[in-house]
Amino acid sequence: MKYRVTHKTTYDGHETVSIGHNQAWLEFRSIDRQQVESFRLTIEPEPSIRTRRVDAFGNPVQVFSFNEGYQRLDVISTTIVTVRDSEFPRTATTTAWEEVAAALRRKDTPQDRDALEFAFPSHRITSSKAMKEYAIESFKPGRPVIEAVEELTRRIHADFVFDSRATTVNTPVQEVFRLRRGVCQDFAHLQIAMLRSLGIPARYISGYLRTIPPEGQPRLVGADASHAWLSVYCGNGAWLDVDPTNDTFCSTDHITLAWGRDYSDVPPLTGVFVGGGQHRLLVSVDVMPLP
Amino acid sequence: MATGLTPNLRTDRIFECPSFVYNEVYQVDGQPRPHWLKFLHALKTAAPSEFARRNGQADRMLRENGVNYHSATDSGEGARPWRLDLLPMLMTAADWSQIELGLSQRARLLNLLIADIYGPRTLIDDGTLPPEVLYANPEFLRPFCDIRRPDLSPMFFYAAELARSVDGQWWVMAYRAEAPAVPGFALENRIVSSRSMPSAFKQIQVERLAPFFARLQNSVRRRVPRPTDSPRIVLLSSGSAHPYYFEDVYLARYLGYTMVEGGDLAVRNDVVFMKTLSGLVQVDIVMARCAESGLDPLELGGYAAHGVPGLLNAMRAGNVTIANTPGCGIVGAPVFMAFLPQLCQRLLGEPLMMPSISTWWCGDPISFQHVVSRAADLVLKPAFQKSGGEELIIGEMSPEQREKTLARVRAEPYAWIAQEKVARSGIPVWSESGIRCGHAAVRAFLVEDENAWHLMPGGLIRVAPDTGPMQLSVAAGEGSKDLWVLADRKVDPVSLLTPRDLPAELRRTSALFPSRVADNLFWLGRSLDRCDFLSRLVRALADRLIGESNVDLTEIRFLARALSEMGQLEPGFVVDGMESQLPSLAEALPIAVYDPNEYGGLARTVKDLTRLASLVRDWISPDTWHRINVTAESFRASPVKEWHDLADVVSSTNSLIGDLASVSGLISDGMNRGPSWRFLELGRSIERAGATARMLISAELKRGPVSPALLKTMVEILDVRMTYRFRYRENLQRNAVLDLAITDDTNPRSLAYQIDRLVSHVDRLPGYEARPLRSEEMRLVMEAAHAVRMLTAEDLSASTPRNVLVALKTVDDSMTKLSDTLTNKYLVHSGVPRQFTDNSGGTP
Repeated sequence: MKYRVTHKTTYDGHETVSIGHNQAWLEFRSIDRQQVESFRLTIEPEPSIRTRRVDAFGNPVQVFSFNEGYQRLDVISTTIVTVRDSEFPRTATTTAWEEVAAALRRKDTPQDRDALEFAFPSHRITSSKAMKEYAIESFKPGRPVIEAVEELTRRIHADFVFDSRATTVNTPVQEVFRLRRGVCQDFAHLQIAMLRSLGIPARYISGYLRTIPPEGQPRLVGADASHAWLSVYCGNGAWLDVDPTNDTFCSTDHITLAWGRDYSDVPPLTGVFVGGGQHRLLVSVDVMPLP
Repeated sequence: MATGLTPNLRTDRIFECPSFVYNEVYQVDGQPRPHWLKFLHALKTAAPSEFARRNGQADRMLRENGVNYHSATDSGEGARPWRLDLLPMLMTAADWSQIELGLSQRARLLNLLIADIYGPRTLIDDGTLPPEVLYANPEFLRPFCDIRRPDLSPMFFYAAELARSVDGQWWVMAYRAEAPAVPGFALENRIVSSRSMPSAFKQIQVERLAPFFARLQNSVRRRVPRPTDSPRIVLLSSGSAHPYYFEDVYLARYLGYTMVEGGDLAVRNDVVFMKTLSGLVQVDIVMARCAESGLDPLELGGYAAHGVPGLLNAMRAGNVTIANTPGCGIVGAPVFMAFLPQLCQRLLGEPLMMPSISTWWCGDPISFQHVVSRAADLVLKPAFQKSGGEELIIGEMSPEQREKTLARVRAEPYAWIAQEKVARSGIPVWSESGIRCGHAAVRAFLVEDENAWHLMPGGLIRVAPDTGPMQLSVAAGEGSKDLWVLADRKVDPVSLLTPRDLPAELRRTSALFPSRVADNLFWLGRSLDRCDFLSRLVRALADRLIGESNVDLTEIRFLARALSEMGQLEPGFVVDGMESQLPSLAEALPIAVYDPNEYGGLARTVKDLTRLASLVRDWISPDTWHRINVTAESFRASPVKEWHDLADVVSSTNSLIGDLASVSGLISDGMNRGPSWRFLELGRSIERAGATARMLISAELKRGPVSPALLKTMVEILDVRMTYRFRYRENLQRNAVLDLAITDDTNPRSLAYQIDRLVSHVDRLPGYEARPLRSEEMRLVMEAAHAVRMLTAEDLSASTPRNVLVALKTVDDSMTKLSDTLTNKYLVHSGVPRQFTDNSGGTP
């Protein structure tokens, strides 16, 4: 499946921003099932300096800053990418979930050691006893990891209500669990917290989702949004992507941008600025399938 | 050694300490340890009263130098004076060099450990370190993974906390590589104690500290990232609210670095600059004396006062060095102490020379079992907290507390460690009632220079009252002592203050004058003058309210009005027919004057004075700083809160006016006429001119003839009684008073005089020379000057002096605008940085 993904962020300030430093996780990381044909990041006005680095999790980061003042800032990334369907990791269908955690403890493979980085609480994700109890119902002894994860994903989707007004970017995951409401980022955080509480590494994926318009209606340009889901470690270096917001395993509809321990490792665009007074931040995303 | 002394010294032991601790002075057989003999002899020679006097002198010296570990906070409390006991702890050079060997090895080991943690992490791969130690550690900060310079070791400076157990063995209790605190306190202790010590001690040869600081400077300078003859080095402080602010000021001054806060630095095109009055000046080396987790809000989040957005990228680009390299801090977490022996074998291929206090990591099931079985003898601590944090002493807990604590550990075992307790060695401590036993916590400092580590020959001794565990903060314990390392050769008697091998770094103050400092000096100037003016108004009013007879209502009305204009009194008092208001005014005035929450009031202004002075302590003379403190202190201390009356007000304002005059004297006699003085003076003149203009407006000249009593009051407030009497005798005339107040440029209190000074200050502001047309601030000053200068003798004597009032209004307005213009142009280079994040994670 081939797409053109356009992610446009507009910062509209009331007064002039005098100085600004920014970081963007908008360049697709290269992974097996994705091939990036082209990537362009347009910044208006032209920043004083632009660099690129690779962060500690292997994601490319665009770094740019302004010495001249601006009142309006547009950051537009345009990417043409082909996404292949990935197979389910075979280990996931056969390995019991406890064995994943146990192998990790033994550090059987180098990949196990890498996965450990995603096995512990992180800045935005801490779990609780209640969350663990919720999760354990799906993790019956000896159950293959894929079955358990599939069921947990389904239960989260069933028990939690998508509500874009219930939470903000700063709502703690414990609060999401209590409210039983949230958005994709909250559900991803929640499921990650539950898996980690069982000793299974899980990472946060920032990306996009192809949206299919209702039958008979045209596709609306720019009506899409960033999306977030998670990736579960299944042992032997295999990771399985699941989307609790849509109760599904990830397919060619899911386009991966970057990953980290949680949202705070990979926000699409973040910055520190001086001045600007009141401001609005507008984001529009367009995921257009190409022939 | 004079053997004749020995028996005597043995029988008159100066102190006793419990047998389960190591006695630093006496051997088990009761004989003094040989290296203490000379000292004990000198102690016997010096009379106890002499020693007491000297101790008092040292205390006073520390207080007057403003040495504390909590700078004056808003409340004026919080600041705790530093305490020094003159009796030092002695070490032989041989013992100290053993410690140097051990701590140097540890430093090399820590550097390799840091490099691996923020590099390839082979120690996790091969199992030397369990993954939790990094991956569950909130202090393992990913942005530090790619900022290391391969040519430099990440850590070049660190501090270690030592204790000696009963068998004489030294143990490392903790160490710190992130903003290692307190060499400044150690230095101050040495300076004060070497000045205060009775002369009997002078012949004891003690290693000097100065060469160590010269090494430190050298080592910092070698880290310069670009070829330059004069690298610009700044010391990044956490600001005046931080407990160690004093030390930041002290070290910056001693080492010759400019002290900055985060807001003083800016990153442009990956280069770090300091914001100065004359523009941006490139910075080469940042000596970070602050938490590394707040260094760069862009990558690390947070809004720490010392944060500089873009700093880490500037470091990646190779344009600046931060010392120590951010990331070093992590190894100070106590969890690593559990692994150091293995790490030493693995990284250096040799055994660890100097042991750490026995430490068990609860994340290891076998260690945890051991911890549970010996819980009563151990101290539990959070594994990842670098500065010590909580200390849970299981042995002192009730059974329930103990169960609860262990349950906490069981829930997250990897986040806890347990440590053995050490009964620290006994040392003699001076107290009013005689010498008693205290317990020594030794803080040692090391610096790397020319590929070798050097231990400071001296250190900071903190005294614990008992043998229990002691927190790491320098504030913990009962006081401090100097550590003397006895030289085995003759030591140059060079004073530390002008060390021969430490030439002063010549500074161009104007080029490195941070805008923030100018801002604070400007407001300090305003507060000084406001305080004086307010005191005079308050004193005059209190004086008249006390006087039973001959109260002229117009005077009181005038003063109350002027005070309400300044925010010291409620405007409600100023009404026609004020007679009925007098009793309540007499009651309200003292309350308002002493209420520190009365915005614009005297107590508040005095409080502002100390706050502002503490922010620019590095830029005003110690005498001035001291004088301002004493002034504020005596005002605060004057009357008992609930009982003050008008008489108290008169006496407080009297002494306040006198104290402020001596502050002014120190400033005008002693302050270098650089930009710092200029900004202070700008503040004073603007405040004075504005306040005088407003006071004259309050006199309601339009209402017709002014009573002689009121004229007399004006003459008093303007402090021109002598001049007036000299010129006009007792003939009080309005036009003569107005001339003295407004147009007489020979009177330093007049508007004309103050405005003339403003013209000359504004004319010399940085960057003013090259401008083709007059600047905004110059036009404002000239507008005020013009208004005053154009007044005629007729204007002053007109029955309704309309032109005078117009001129006063002009002065008042232009002073307000001038203050704003200066602030915008020179002082506020930037606002508070804010963060934004695209939060668009919301699709069905």
